Amino acid sequence: MLVNVLLAVSIYVTLSTGQLSLGNAGFMSIGAYASAILTTAHGMPIPAGVLLGSVLAGAFGVLVGIPALRLKGVYLAIATLGFGEVVRAVFINWESLTGGAVGIAEIPQMGREILAALRESGFTPETVGLRSNQFISLSVFLILLAAAVLSTLFFLRLSSSRAGRAYAAIRMDEAAAEAAGIDATYYKVLAFSQGALLSGFAGALFAHSTSYISPADFTYHRAVEILVFAVFGGSEHLFGPVFGAMFLTAVPEALRFVSDYRYIVYGIILVLMMIFRPQGVIDQALLDRFARGGSPGGS
Amino acid sequence: MSLLRVDKVGKNFGGLAAVDCVSFSVGEGEILGLIGPNGAGKTTLFNLITSTFAPTGGRLLFRGESIAGLAPHSIVRKGICRTFQNIRLFPRMTALENVMVGRHPRSGAGIWGGVLRTRRQRNEEADIREKSGELLALMGLSGCGDLTAGKLPYGHQRRLEIARAMAAEPKLLLLDEPAAGMNESETREIQSLILAIRGMGVTVLLIEHDMSLVMKVCDRLVVLNFGRKIAEGAPAEIRANPEVVEAYLGREEEGEDGDA
Repeated sequence: MLVNVLLAVSIYVTLSTGQLSLGNAGFMSIGAYASAILTTAHGMPIPAGVLLGSVLAGAFGVLVGIPALRLKGVYLAIATLGFGEVVRAVFINWESLTGGAVGIAEIPQMGREILAALRESGFTPETVGLRSNQFISLSVFLILLAAAVLSTLFFLRLSSSRAGRAYAAIRMDEAAAEAAGIDATYYKVLAFSQGALLSGFAGALFAHSTSYISPADFTYHRAVEILVFAVFGGSEHLFGPVFGAMFLTAVPEALRFVSDYRYIVYGIILVLMMIFRPQGVIDQALLDRFARGGSPGGS
Repeated sequence: MSLLRVDKVGKNFGGLAAVDCVSFSVGEGEILGLIGPNGAGKTTLFNLITSTFAPTGGRLLFRGESIAGLAPHSIVRKGICRTFQNIRLFPRMTALENVMVGRHPRSGAGIWGGVLRTRRQRNEEADIREKSGELLALMGLSGCGDLTAGKLPYGHQRRLEIARAMAAEPKLLLLDEPAAGMNESETREIQSLILAIRGMGVTVLLIEHDMSLVMKVCDRLVVLNFGRKIAEGAPAEIRANPEVVEAYLGREEEGEDGDA
């Protein structure tokens, strides 16, 4: 699912400053719940809900990102994983707002809303040869595709700019980056909250495409799944996690019979990757080879 | 007026005084050598000047302004850049990118500039690229721009680190053993580079163990031993100073004086 691509980009962004955050499932749930509650209980239009949900997740990213500066490596991973579980526990127990373990149903669905809006202006999907539900799925798919492509492009461009170089420098050697005049604190919190904001955005879109969310959607399995995208695809380049997300989402769909054993398959894949290709499927050397083979003028 | 004034600066690690009440000043346009045996506190002093950690006592004045306790990146913005004793490049970036990172404090594009590629951002980026290329050429690395920094030969890495520090247009450049591990001809290159850097109006504070290099390029020397300043003066005076000779070689008459 394309939501997974967004999540993969979000973990890459925080990783690109050397911070391993497993809290993105938590930020995702904040975005999802915020947008769901705003659109169901307060009658807000979907775009406003998605926007506010993302911003709220980003704001939590700043709040978590500042104390997270003190932690490195596995300690940061554990702390952010804990944050995700805390968020989930809050959503389970704050029943008056979130519906507790039952979750929130009847969240306005993007495709249906678009169809309804178009119907008013006299358009019917039959005029372009589609049934209503086909049209709904297609429009959801297109929205998610646009979101995934745009956010990938956003961070691809960012990585080859001044801020992107600062991220990479901090990841490789934080002390040297500071000695080169980079405000590591600023860029680390920035990357952390960008990742959180993007997770929240993914969560909000998730809520409006499935129209039902519950705390079970945002367990620690989700956090690990996002991590696996990066480990499998490779975390050196943005395309790594994106590829990981697409591949690992597509495989269980294609091989339905393993989907019950998905986590076993993930485990096996992870172990194999660590043995044979610890840097992930996609690394800089592989991309360079493609660039040279594909376009001789490419940089 | 002195560019940098180190005034009774001290730094304790637990009970150990790594730097103890050291005072000296660096004049504008000078090349000042900081020498002393291993563990004398030279690198600690560099770390204090660049605010890697804060001094436990004393004052650090850069152009008359106190810089103690500022964030390391603000120190760079004020015009003090450094290199490291054990080279610290960004190993998986190219040589050119390393220098471009060094340009960071002298450029201003934010996230949106970078993503939207505004005209201003594009001009700035072209300018960064050009200036970085010039610095590579100055350091004799013109052919190495597209090579991965971590794979460059050792001597090139040293010079690349100087190029990165120079990219921020410092007023004061701190070089921590730039000639360490280099052969004679490479050391001569470093010598002429240091003089060229001074020729560009940059003041240099140099830690170095290669005495022939120190004697040739430095205008003045400050000698540290066990965290304290034991001598200061022109290279010829320092060479003749009995206390300095003792710090380096030990005392002649009392053989059983065990510390070295």
